[in-house]
Amino acid sequence: MDHLMDHATDRPAASLTADDIRGLVRPDHVNRRAYADEAVFQLEQERIFGRLWIYVAHESQLKKPGDFIRTRLAHHEILVTRHNDGQIYVLQNRCPHRGARLCMVDQGSSRLFSCPYHAWVFRNDGTLSTVPHSKSYPENFSLTDPQHQMTRIAKVQSYRGFVFATLNPNPEPLLDHLGPMTEVIDNLVDRAPDGEVEIADSSFTLEYRGNWKLHLENAADIFHPSFVHSSSVMPARRAPENASILDGDQTREMLLANGFSTNEWEGIQLTGLSGGHTFMTNFYTKGVLVHEESDPVAARYKAALVARLGPERSASVLGVNRFNNIIYPNLVINAQHQQMRVTIPISVDRTIVRVHCFRLKGAPDEMFHRAVRFLSTLGSPASMIFSDDVEMLERCQQGLAKDSEMWVDFSRGFDSDRAGKDGEVSGVASEMPMRVQFKAWVEYMTAEAA
Amino acid sequence: MMLDHDTQRKVELFLFEEARLLDAGDFEAWLELYRPQGIYWMPSQPGQTDPLNVASIIYEDHAILSIRVQRLLEERALVLTPMPRTTHIVGNIETLGHEADCLRVEAAFICVEHRAENQKVYSGRHTYELVPDEESFRIKMKRVDLVNSGGTHSPMSILL
Repeated sequence: MDHLMDHATDRPAASLTADDIRGLVRPDHVNRRAYADEAVFQLEQERIFGRLWIYVAHESQLKKPGDFIRTRLAHHEILVTRHNDGQIYVLQNRCPHRGARLCMVDQGSSRLFSCPYHAWVFRNDGTLSTVPHSKSYPENFSLTDPQHQMTRIAKVQSYRGFVFATLNPNPEPLLDHLGPMTEVIDNLVDRAPDGEVEIADSSFTLEYRGNWKLHLENAADIFHPSFVHSSSVMPARRAPENASILDGDQTREMLLANGFSTNEWEGIQLTGLSGGHTFMTNFYTKGVLVHEESDPVAARYKAALVARLGPERSASVLGVNRFNNIIYPNLVINAQHQQMRVTIPISVDRTIVRVHCFRLKGAPDEMFHRAVRFLSTLGSPASMIFSDDVEMLERCQQGLAKDSEMWVDFSRGFDSDRAGKDGEVSGVASEMPMRVQFKAWVEYMTAEAA
Repeated sequence: MMLDHDTQRKVELFLFEEARLLDAGDFEAWLELYRPQGIYWMPSQPGQTDPLNVASIIYEDHAILSIRVQRLLEERALVLTPMPRTTHIVGNIETLGHEADCLRVEAAFICVEHRAENQKVYSGRHTYELVPDEESFRIKMKRVDLVNSGGTHSPMSILL
């Protein structure tokens, strides 16, 4: 993960005032500096990725003491570990002695983290275990001195297996931040006949040369597929049905589904919530992705689920049909396809997207094979879909980087959005999700420290 | 295993032809090198053995590959505007043995892609299962192990 190293972070972001930030966002337009200004990015790292609850790991990656994964939280590289006290810890991946990065792999299992430089050795909770030749350190040098421990991120909480952490010493409760978006995590877990999901060992790590917000906006944008993905929609339309010996026609159906027109633009319901979370109704309507009656795998799966939940509850779990559930600021979940994407900002114009899928425990193996196929079709670097998305994100960044008075237009649907009783906004054929994201963005970016 | 010189030479010429078709942008002719049930596999992890439970960068048969090829020929493919130019180099070609109906061949590759303002380099190893077909071969399986298969990737739009 050398690519995750950057040169940011020492520059104070305080040069931007709250009024500066408010001046970048109008109700239906956003100034290009929100995507291209280094000072804005530093303030985002401090006030969004440094203050909100950020997804860092899934508990199925940390089953036994010693298991760890390496990822990122704001500008820190972190290790998420399971200690032998059973607790999950989030530690900065840095030796407190001379500052060297400690762990150089993305995941593994180890009871100790040892710095190769001067052999300080740490436990999975970050405490210092041993130093060689301890008598040469000063008399008051204590192994238990917090200064000699790997820096611990104090706030870590799980929701049904999803581990979140925050640098904020006084965060709002995790459940308040997630709000109604807990439903999508619930729905993913409830779809498992054994009541538990496991993240797949394989995932993809993609990088694009663009601001992190572009990916979130694209995931909430129902207008681009017909245009951006026409190069895969058109050949899929010409291809024969059920020709593949590998995938039950899943790939072709997924490519076809991006062939949007007025029906989809006006038929897909969009919802935006306070806090910047958004979701839409699903647009996969055919084939193995939707559990058709004739599908024997789906029949076995449904039977297993009914055995656990009963027919009514089972039907209600399977009836949840929400697509691209975006938990602000960086988590995208598709429960019905067992997919998840995590957006990780690296610099103002560089972003990592990690793409994962889940196994529903107790479901037929073929269900997992479909989730794996979904992951490859949509999230592989060679994806016929996402590669065209990334091309547009990068072209936007290239245009927005040019110093000028340029305002991004998010006005579509502005007059037709409807506000609900709990502050939610709904609409069709609208850029409302981007307006909702930026409304929350301004609130987070202008909030004084808690 | 020591193959007779003619067979080794036929294998080499077949791989060179494949590289030339890709560089020439003749993707339909490239696809014709595959058997009707041929498979193209680009694993996501070094040493990956399971294409069903482990996600692959590409795991496609002739039917899906033909959609991929048609996409490369679509005028509106964004990642192909402008069209990338490539140089595929294949070397270290070794025929490792016969299996039931096919030859198992390994080779190293380097590919340089130039598109718009950018140049990218791919490298790794190819593993082929080649079935004799008249004077040449057809591909039963081609496996592409990128040297950075498990790493961080930007989008890949070309064929390797």
